[in-house]
Amino acid sequence: MMKKPALAALCAIAILQVSTSQAQQATEVQLTYSKGQFQPSQVRAPADKPVTFRVKNLDAKAMEFESTSLRVEKVVAANSEGVINVRALKPGRYEFYDDFNDKARGALTVQ
Amino acid sequence: MKAMRNRAGQWHSLAVLISLVLLGCARSARAEDASSWREIETKYIFGFTTGSGIGLEGEKEFTVDTIGRFGKRDGHYAATETKYEFEFTPSQFIQIEFGALGSTHNIGGVTDLDDRSQVALGGAFAELRYLAIERTSNNPLSVTLAVEPTVRRIDETSGERVRNFEFETTVNADLELMKNRLFAGFNLLYEPEVTQSAIGDTQREAKFGGSAALSLRIASNVVVGGEVWYLRHYDAANLTAFTGDAVMLGPSLYIQFTPKMFMTAAWNAQVWGREVGNPVALNLAEFQRHRAKLKFAWEF
Repeated sequence: MMKKPALAALCAIAILQVSTSQAQQATEVQLTYSKGQFQPSQVRAPADKPVTFRVKNLDAKAMEFESTSLRVEKVVAANSEGVINVRALKPGRYEFYDDFNDKARGALTVQ
Repeated sequence: MKAMRNRAGQWHSLAVLISLVLLGCARSARAEDASSWREIETKYIFGFTTGSGIGLEGEKEFTVDTIGRFGKRDGHYAATETKYEFEFTPSQFIQIEFGALGSTHNIGGVTDLDDRSQVALGGAFAELRYLAIERTSNNPLSVTLAVEPTVRRIDETSGERVRNFEFETTVNADLELMKNRLFAGFNLLYEPEVTQSAIGDTQREAKFGGSAALSLRIASNVVVGGEVWYLRHYDAANLTAFTGDAVMLGPSLYIQFTPKMFMTAAWNAQVWGREVGNPVALNLAEFQRHRAKLKFAWEF
């Protein structure tokens, strides 16, 4: 009988955490992906605010914006734009990359 | 005495061998620059110990995860349970998994167990994982809470037809000791279950314990490690009727074949154990001599 309330509480906390992040105004970060590289490759955002990445893929093939520490991935088709919403972040450095291209790297510094 | 000396000698040789392998790995690892490696998902790098990773939002994964248990006090005993599992991460804090269980049993001449050779659809399970503390570049600790209800129609140990309900609760924590290179993992486990046999008997039991693991990334796509588990068994869900405990120890291996495909393997041997009321070495009533894990995963 103890388990159901615990499970419900766990879900409630998780949903609250997600909805709180979404309710805050997001900082927008614009990235261009061209010739297999991010431009700019180093970006900044304020702490404790959600971040929205707008990734314009100018290359003729798809790329996958991915980050283990940001915990997001999104395939962006050739010559199109992808939008990736990230939770409010704590101060730190968060690396991102193109999962289809090992050389395409970048990082978000949150302060 | 001679048998004990032989066994101690075997463990000593194994420990020396594992140390040499880890030392060799550490030396070759130092030669590579870990700062150029991508960050690693820690969930599967510790063997039987589960890391705190919950995947990436939007990621889906199909995995085949087999755990084999081998060796009882007498006769021959081999049992496996395979999870055919679908995982997905709907948010940056939650991971959900569910799937079917397949089981095999090959038992002969084991005291208190019927001889059996069978392959069966064993049951089904679901798991909810919640990331409670996230790792950042300023905080090396990450903690995930997980619950996993499971229903079985085949008993894990004996292979008999039963109705079994299990509710595994775990805390999965890991620490990044060296950036991109060295990780420590810790699990805390509480696993109550109730089993109703074919003749209507009801048995309640629980497992409680924890683990510590250390894993070294020796190449960008290869992680080797070792782990130790301490497990206690009770004939009651509220941990009041202690029946025995055991210590399991062994190595682990993780290989990322491609960005979307990996495998993990682990092996644990029981190195110490006791059964309440039975003055024998090891606990082979509730646990096994060896257990092995092999998991393949495909992300999409």
